[in-house]
Amino acid sequence: MIDATILLWGVAIGSIYVLLATGLNLIFGVMKLVNFAHGELLMLGAYVSYSITTGLGLDVYLSIFVSMGVIALVGLGVERLAFRRVLGADKLNEIFVSLGLILIFDNVAVLIWGEDSKLLTSPFKGMGLHFGDVFLRYDLLIAFAVVVAILVGLLFLINKTKVGMAMRATSQKSQASMLMGINIEHIYIFTFMLGAVLAGAAGTLFGIIFPFNPYIGALPTIKTFAIIILGGLGSIKGAIVGGLLFGIAENLASATLGSIWGDAVAFALLIAVLILRPKGLFGEKGD
Amino acid sequence: MVNTKLVAAVVIVIIAVAAVVAVWQFMPASDETIKIGLVAPLSIPVGQDMDRAAKMAAEEINADGGIYVESLGKRLKIEIVVADTETANPEVAPAEVTRVVDQGVDVLIGGFGSSATLAGQVYAIEQKVPYVITGASTHLVTRRGFLPDGHSLKIDDPEGMSYMFHYCTTVYHYSETVAHFFAEAMKPLLESEYGLTRNLRLAVLYRNDAYGQGVWDATKQFIEDDNLPIDIVAEVNYETTKTTFQTELTTVKNAEPDAVYVVDFTTNTAVIYTQGQTDVGLNSIYIAVECCEEPEFYTALGQYGDGQLLESKFASYADVDGEFYLPMMDTYVADYKAKYGQVPGMMGADTYDAFYIVKDAIERAGTLEKSAVRDAIESCDMDQMLIITQTGKIEFGTDEDNYHEIDPFTFVEQLYYDESIGECRPKVIWPATAPVVGDIKQADLVFPDNYEPGSP
Amino acid sequence: MFTKENLLKLIKNTKGRLALLAIAVSLVIPLLLSDNYMLHILTLIVIFTIYASSWNLLASSGQGSLGHAAFLGIGGFTSSLLAINLGIPPIVGIFLAATLSAAIGFLIGITCVRLKAWFLAMVTFGFSIIASTLFSEFDEVTHAILGFRTPPLLFSSRLPFYYFAVLISIACVAVLYFIMKSKMGLAFKAIHQNEAEARMIGLNTAKYKLYAFVLSTFFAGLSGAIYAHFQRYIHISIFSADNSFMPLMMSVIGGLGTIEGPVIGSVIMVFIDHFLINIDPFLNSALSPLFPAVSNVGPNIRLVGLGIFLVIVVILLPKGITSLLRKLYYYVRTEIIQSE
Repeated sequence: MIDATILLWGVAIGSIYVLLATGLNLIFGVMKLVNFAHGELLMLGAYVSYSITTGLGLDVYLSIFVSMGVIALVGLGVERLAFRRVLGADKLNEIFVSLGLILIFDNVAVLIWGEDSKLLTSPFKGMGLHFGDVFLRYDLLIAFAVVVAILVGLLFLINKTKVGMAMRATSQKSQASMLMGINIEHIYIFTFMLGAVLAGAAGTLFGIIFPFNPYIGALPTIKTFAIIILGGLGSIKGAIVGGLLFGIAENLASATLGSIWGDAVAFALLIAVLILRPKGLFGEKGD
Repeated sequence: MVNTKLVAAVVIVIIAVAAVVAVWQFMPASDETIKIGLVAPLSIPVGQDMDRAAKMAAEEINADGGIYVESLGKRLKIEIVVADTETANPEVAPAEVTRVVDQGVDVLIGGFGSSATLAGQVYAIEQKVPYVITGASTHLVTRRGFLPDGHSLKIDDPEGMSYMFHYCTTVYHYSETVAHFFAEAMKPLLESEYGLTRNLRLAVLYRNDAYGQGVWDATKQFIEDDNLPIDIVAEVNYETTKTTFQTELTTVKNAEPDAVYVVDFTTNTAVIYTQGQTDVGLNSIYIAVECCEEPEFYTALGQYGDGQLLESKFASYADVDGEFYLPMMDTYVADYKAKYGQVPGMMGADTYDAFYIVKDAIERAGTLEKSAVRDAIESCDMDQMLIITQTGKIEFGTDEDNYHEIDPFTFVEQLYYDESIGECRPKVIWPATAPVVGDIKQADLVFPDNYEPGSP
Repeated sequence: MFTKENLLKLIKNTKGRLALLAIAVSLVIPLLLSDNYMLHILTLIVIFTIYASSWNLLASSGQGSLGHAAFLGIGGFTSSLLAINLGIPPIVGIFLAATLSAAIGFLIGITCVRLKAWFLAMVTFGFSIIASTLFSEFDEVTHAILGFRTPPLLFSSRLPFYYFAVLISIACVAVLYFIMKSKMGLAFKAIHQNEAEARMIGLNTAKYKLYAFVLSTFFAGLSGAIYAHFQRYIHISIFSADNSFMPLMMSVIGGLGTIEGPVIGSVIMVFIDHFLINIDPFLNSALSPLFPAVSNVGPNIRLVGLGIFLVIVVILLPKGITSLLRKLYYYVRTEIIQSE
């Protein structure tokens, strides 16, 4: 049965995918780096907010900023210590490093926070608007607003600022941009941290809406890769459309065909799109 | 010369490898202990609970001098050898069971997860090692010999199969309790409180694995065979990797049930209870089965367990000032808390009992010889321990329809939120009495504060 | 192929000697062991060697797969189901299974040869999810959810099984070796290095990519079938992502694109999987007080350590352990032997 509640929750998980996908798309677009550990940053973001809110009593929505900051630093560390050193080798080495990082992050999170699932406590717990049978939590509304604000800011950064232009130049031809005097190293660090910031924000929003545990990061990452391929590499528009489409498709499939079909149908959609359009919905260039 | 050097190097390497292997092989095996293999998934909390309970039982028995073996004329201490199935992974289980059996264990205890246990038990059957299974929900672990020819799980080795024992409830035990609870306790209450005379509308949400499917099949069967006044209005199964359930709960809500039967493990069950009430507005009464009787379930549930239900066979939280429905629980829970600083879970209790079943069997057998120990376990006639049985005795069936199974008694608890600890605590509500034990009921069934019955 | 001349050639060059040494070791080791557990581990290594090598062949043609577990599972289920339902002897069944796996690989390959490597990787991952869902949806036919007991492959005892697996594995690795050395192997390499250039020099890249896909899925299906008959049990978990990532880890840590890389990698990864776990109790007793949130810290600390180790290995040895061994060998040859 198709009903508004199911669409609503499809959009909710979809907007989390959108944040992850734009970040990952930037990293892939600019650095050509395949980071399968991106979802772990989301997981850590949720836990950072958890510690901040339970430990210091900070409001969960303010903790987004802390989480973005901390995850940016984690991103810096990951880029400098691990990915930097395998960049340019085989893509498979990058995946291998990601798998190692997943082991590290998952288990460090278990050691610090335990394995039980947690939920961030929102000040608007249990509150929301009723539209007939549909209950719209305030948390969802706020999450949508935050996602939109972040995306607007991001588009501004990429299209209107100097660093954004440098990123675009790097993503198109790193050799040429080096000649133009752009410090590629710095652009790489900036891009990776920017992606991490988005994942951190996604983590906090995820943790307010969905319960999380240390192993929550793996599946979203793979779906996110599917989404950026579905949307088209390097296309922010593609990441947004792809993310929402993926979220809605898996929820609709769960509701109509049965829950076990959710993931399968979402990936079938990806395969169908790729067969028809090998470069994705909005992809112009391949790598 | 290059070649002689190379040959020399190869010879040296081979000799070194052979030496290491030889030393390893011929290390003096100590006959001075009774080796018990504990098959448990140590990467998940349930397995750790089994491990703690096993250690506690072994230490108690060892502190008492150990197990008396008549043929040796002395008492031997227990040494636990763990076969770690990680997350109850059926691909790891065969190797791990092989490892501990090859280390010469006298008996195996444990096994969690139906598929992991079915996969792992094969080597024990081949080698005829007595195995007291304490954690698989499928009755097939002891009945594979009786399956029709050509069945995919058949093991045509009656002798090997006779070494398998099942000291645990199966999907049939808990499905029967849950189905009859709805028919006999909840249906009358719906009638008296809401004037609903129609059949009870039940929704079932279950994980798509052997355990979920097993409960689903058994529940349908009991409703049909026993002619219970229950209609199943929604059936939703989902992938075991799922962690969030709004869509599934929406489907359930649209079916307007009177009650929701959730078949999953601790974390997901708590999430389903919570999201149903907060995100989807499915203000119903939820029931889960005994696999959730673990500390982390209560922690994860918080206030959202208030008024909700749990089927159980070992209610380690349902004490009144430290006193339980069963005297033995008083000491077990107190000792466990003192030793490990937490309340014991349900899976450990079966494991704990199994150590005493094995002790009793070896002492009656008077030898460590495996066939004699097997015979002794089969003729076990001990008084019940932590798990209540229908006869008050621990007896393993010998017929085809209860082969090497016990006849356990299970009951239903209702949870009440305790603000001072931020968690719920249960009270036994149904049935009123247990065989041999007597009165166990601590409170009456009431509907949760936010309860809304299904469609009229 | 096995003329006296060729055999002599084999003995004369270093690679040949190493290969013979590896074979000799694999044949002698079980004679030194008496327990079934070690044999179990050794057999797993041998089976994973086939699996990782099949993946490695695909990677050598510049195509990535993150869903090879789909073919492992299809191979395993096909052979096992044929045996229990139609009574087809497993020794025949494993080859039928491999053929079916290759046929499915062909269908996926033909729809996906136009895709870039990373797009294909996602398609294969998606396919493994879809395959797993289909197998659980049609449980009445597949018995995948509870899993089932598979019949033995010729031998039910472990020692003959081990030798059988070793022989098959040697045959597979040899075939893969000759493929990689052949014209086809060169074409794979050319595509891997630069597909556009390969096309420009007149190579039919689509055709070769399809060959690689079909060959790889054939061997993956074969290894899955042998694996199922060896474990004597098959369950839906064979489709797990762990099994998809395993051959990648084995190939990369051993040495991507080399013939010996997956062999070394499977030895290392299977040993780590089964033996490293023994330090858990020690870690737990030593470090437990530091982490109050967890009751059994052993597995988690072990896995953090393993993660760090893997990352460091791949940073220090981007071409895998085999590159280190090669360097060592050349060092020994030039510095030590030459100096005499």
